[in-house]
Amino acid sequence: MTDLKNLSELSQKELIRMEREIAAKHVGRKPWLAITWSISNFVIWLSLWPLVLTGTIPLWLGFVIATANMALSYLPSHEAQHDIIARPGEKLRWLNELIGWIGSIPLVMPYPALKATHMEHHKNANDPKLDPDYFTHASGPLRALWRFVQAMQPRGKNTQASRYEETLQRLGRKDLIIQSAIMTLAFYSFLFTMAWFGYAIEAALLWWLPRHLGFAYIIFFLAWSPHHGTSKGRYRDTRAWRSQLGNIGSMGMQFHIIHHLHPRIPLYRTPQAYWEMRPILKARGCDLGEM
Amino acid sequence: MTATLKQVFYFGPIIFALGFLAPLIAQSAIRLGFDAPFGLSPLAFGFAAAGISGLAAQIRGRWI
Repeated sequence: MTDLKNLSELSQKELIRMEREIAAKHVGRKPWLAITWSISNFVIWLSLWPLVLTGTIPLWLGFVIATANMALSYLPSHEAQHDIIARPGEKLRWLNELIGWIGSIPLVMPYPALKATHMEHHKNANDPKLDPDYFTHASGPLRALWRFVQAMQPRGKNTQASRYEETLQRLGRKDLIIQSAIMTLAFYSFLFTMAWFGYAIEAALLWWLPRHLGFAYIIFFLAWSPHHGTSKGRYRDTRAWRSQLGNIGSMGMQFHIIHHLHPRIPLYRTPQAYWEMRPILKARGCDLGEM
Repeated sequence: MTATLKQVFYFGPIIFALGFLAPLIAQSAIRLGFDAPFGLSPLAFGFAAAGISGLAAQIRGRWI
């Protein structure tokens, strides 16, 4: 780190070169933890259905586990959205796409639609019109949760569904809008069928309510917190921050700034990349909070 | 196809209320031993409660 002492005196070009050198050390590593996490999370959630319906485990326990499953389902899919598991044309590309899908099914959002909208979030982070996740913006944590409740309502200009639909329309991906609609209809058809066969409470507590709670957690920690109080621009649109739940409790989002700067660094490498890159980020005047 | 999907989603709140919330309320009432008012059966009570809230959500465009 001795050569990083006078970073503020270095040119922009030199800072970028150093930043890229650090990033290169972390890109290209297989996130086996995320792959294992994704598959086991999905299998556990699926197994809850026979376990609860046969009375092997109580419904309240199934509900708690299902809620954790929902909160945990997004991030491995997010790794796949950035082609971190395997890039197009690589041998394990099928695994990348599989992980992308199985993380998105419990959340009832098709992986291709999640990927397309997420790429727009990266391109246009914090842009009120172009960032599909801008609906999460709120002045504080309680307001962020209330904003989430509002964003889940059936109609409105700033709901999650309307923002994602607008984004996909703008991208000319009507196919993904239809795919999302069909997946949503399949989800509700499943709930209705379960309900009319006498399993409404089980369906509500193993999927419907856990999905809402999981989404609230995901949106709070993955969308609101890392972008709260930030503006626009490569070094300004997200931040490092210290979560009261720690790095695991906030699912690695304390180092979200690394993800936006170098999206192909696997989640598990972002803390290490952050500490190596921190002096450069500090020299650039990034918001690093208490980290 | 898009027009049909739009219609279905437009009526989402009332469809959800009658298709899911009504049996959910009915089954919850039975499991909790709750006696519905006015001598209503659990399912009739479920339809009444879900129907009212679903209709309100349908008109307002929001559940809460």
